[in-house]
Amino acid sequence: MRGLVRPAQYAALALYILFLGFPLLWLMSASVKSSGELNSLTVSLLPSEWHWENYTEALDKQGLIRSAGNSLVVALASTALAVLIAVPAAYVLARLRGKLRVAGVGWILVSQVFPVVLIILPLFLILRTLGLADNLAGLTLVHTTYMLPFALWMLQGYVAAIPVELEEAGAMDGASRLTVLRTIVFPLLAPGVVATAMFSFVSSWNEFFFALVLLQSPENYTLPITLNMFVGGEGKVALGPLAAGAVLAAIPSIVFFSILRRKLTSGLMAGAVKG
Amino acid sequence: MKTRRAVVAACLMVTSLLLAACGSGSGDSGDGPVTLTFQSLSDQPAAIAQTQKIVGDWNKAHPDVQVKIVQAGWDGVYDKLITQFNAGTAPDIVHYEAASIAPFATDGYLADLTQYLPAEKKADIPKGVLDSVTVDGKVVAFPTELQSYVVFANKTQLQQAGVTIPTGATMSWDQLREIAKATTKDGKFGLGWGLSSPTAAFIALAPGFGGKYFEGTGNDAKLSVGQGEQALPQLVDAMAHQDHSIMPVTLTQSGTKALAPFYAGQIAMTVQGSYQAANIAKDAPKGFDWVVLPPLAGSAGPAQAANPQTLSVNKDSGHVKEAAEFVDFFTSTDNLAAMNEADALIPPTTSARQALTTKLGTKNGWGPILASGQYLTSAPYLFAGKYAQWKDTVATPAYQQFLGQKIDAAGLAKQLEDGWKSVSK
Repeated sequence: MRGLVRPAQYAALALYILFLGFPLLWLMSASVKSSGELNSLTVSLLPSEWHWENYTEALDKQGLIRSAGNSLVVALASTALAVLIAVPAAYVLARLRGKLRVAGVGWILVSQVFPVVLIILPLFLILRTLGLADNLAGLTLVHTTYMLPFALWMLQGYVAAIPVELEEAGAMDGASRLTVLRTIVFPLLAPGVVATAMFSFVSSWNEFFFALVLLQSPENYTLPITLNMFVGGEGKVALGPLAAGAVLAAIPSIVFFSILRRKLTSGLMAGAVKG
Repeated sequence: MKTRRAVVAACLMVTSLLLAACGSGSGDSGDGPVTLTFQSLSDQPAAIAQTQKIVGDWNKAHPDVQVKIVQAGWDGVYDKLITQFNAGTAPDIVHYEAASIAPFATDGYLADLTQYLPAEKKADIPKGVLDSVTVDGKVVAFPTELQSYVVFANKTQLQQAGVTIPTGATMSWDQLREIAKATTKDGKFGLGWGLSSPTAAFIALAPGFGGKYFEGTGNDAKLSVGQGEQALPQLVDAMAHQDHSIMPVTLTQSGTKALAPFYAGQIAMTVQGSYQAANIAKDAPKGFDWVVLPPLAGSAGPAQAANPQTLSVNKDSGHVKEAAEFVDFFTSTDNLAAMNEADALIPPTTSARQALTTKLGTKNGWGPILASGQYLTSAPYLFAGKYAQWKDTVATPAYQQFLGQKIDAAGLAKQLEDGWKSVSK
């Protein structure tokens, strides 16, 4: 009976992975189906005929690769900026006591309340005045600002979870404040930073509305804007090319995640040992 | 040391990315020929190519007035335009639809094109269609493309049911009901109609029963729901729940979704936007014999409300005259015919419709589809201020409840009218 436990665990895990991965599998299947098959009642995971031209059409449409490049630039830059700003701010927020902390936390929460439609016009006017409208740098700043409150909120939770006694012990051993931060706090905080970076990257990569309004020139469009072109008026959707475009759009995220996943694991282990 | 290097590397990366990004913005030197921006929403590959061809032809013939296409998508374009108009960065020429452009015209963002509308073109556009782009007596856009609601039928299924396929200039809704009844058997249904968002279809088809829904414009528009407005929802209700000739699941689906059972032979007919003819020609299984039935006529005739796609000119363009001349060029007979053929839509001018009829004949249902264009008439809802809000928050849920038999006809009328009063306060 005990010998069955491990295979059952693997089977459950496989089922869970299949459950989670099914939408991606379906998307990949849709990306190689003909329009007729996509609009038929016969449902099958494997296409009856493989239609790779969906990919050709997706790549031809409005410069998908250029848009992916724009998205990558904005997502990487805004992620780096958000993390660089959020790490010290989150540390201060977590360790600070008193009214300033309450005000800081309150401001983070309040900043999440405003709907984006409400702020888009003043934002657009400010960026235009700065010469940053219709510009990837402007969009990067907006994405950074947009994701910063949540990044701060996430990271301050990670900082708060690091016992302050560890820092005190370091100080007792004669380490300077910077040494304590560098050798004790940052390694323990690494998993949080990685998780925050992942969240920030995905938020920016998928962001649609700001990019839609702020970017005017097609050469500056990000991927969600270009993918949106597959959806026409009157509910017309080019399903095959859209699915193909979505598959291609998922690749950079998967690569980014697979790179950061290792850091997340090593960070967790580092935290376990030091903790 | 390693950490410091990593931080410095990260800072350099961010700086270089930002500098690279800063360099990619567009700029206007202000020298040379006038450059007009044309925000196009064309979404089909053939229509995009045709738009590029028309713009290319214009640019070749007008070296001093160059038009630059800015390709955009339909989704979210209203929010984008609101921001652009408010911030003074809207394109010179705006592609959109009459229903959505009317509020921009009311708010004074669009140029009055009346003086740029040549008399012969004015005579070429049916009055009802011209009305749909006329706000406060000013022509605020030129119509470019139209769609109507038509019935696509599986010819084989109709013949097997012993039905005589209508071939007249029009067919009545009663005929449709009879054919649907006759073809409902053996687990198959006579009709499939994707009515998950029924408001647009019911309002567009209401003129066939004398229904208007709205009177007046802007925030003063009044809504009344009488027999003319109720006739079609009640007919659908009767077909679905008395005759059982409408496939029930399609009532909760989008129009496109209802095509799958049509291809599979589970429904004999489906009511769709006329543009679906192109998709059916492409996607239907081999040997699937389909036809477009004649335009539907209600007690008041075959009229349908027109909501054309349009081209408008930004009032703050700085080059209104040149932009209006381009719009006139874009809507010439040949260009409209080519554009509508590419997009599988109906030209808004009589001459372009005739040109397309001559060219395409009855292939892929073009005959009855183009014929239905002559019955497109003015649409009072285009000018009702809070129509979009009413449609999404009041009308669609109310129609869904009615078709789901949660409320009766009186309850439907009350919800629609009370809802309008509430949103238009």
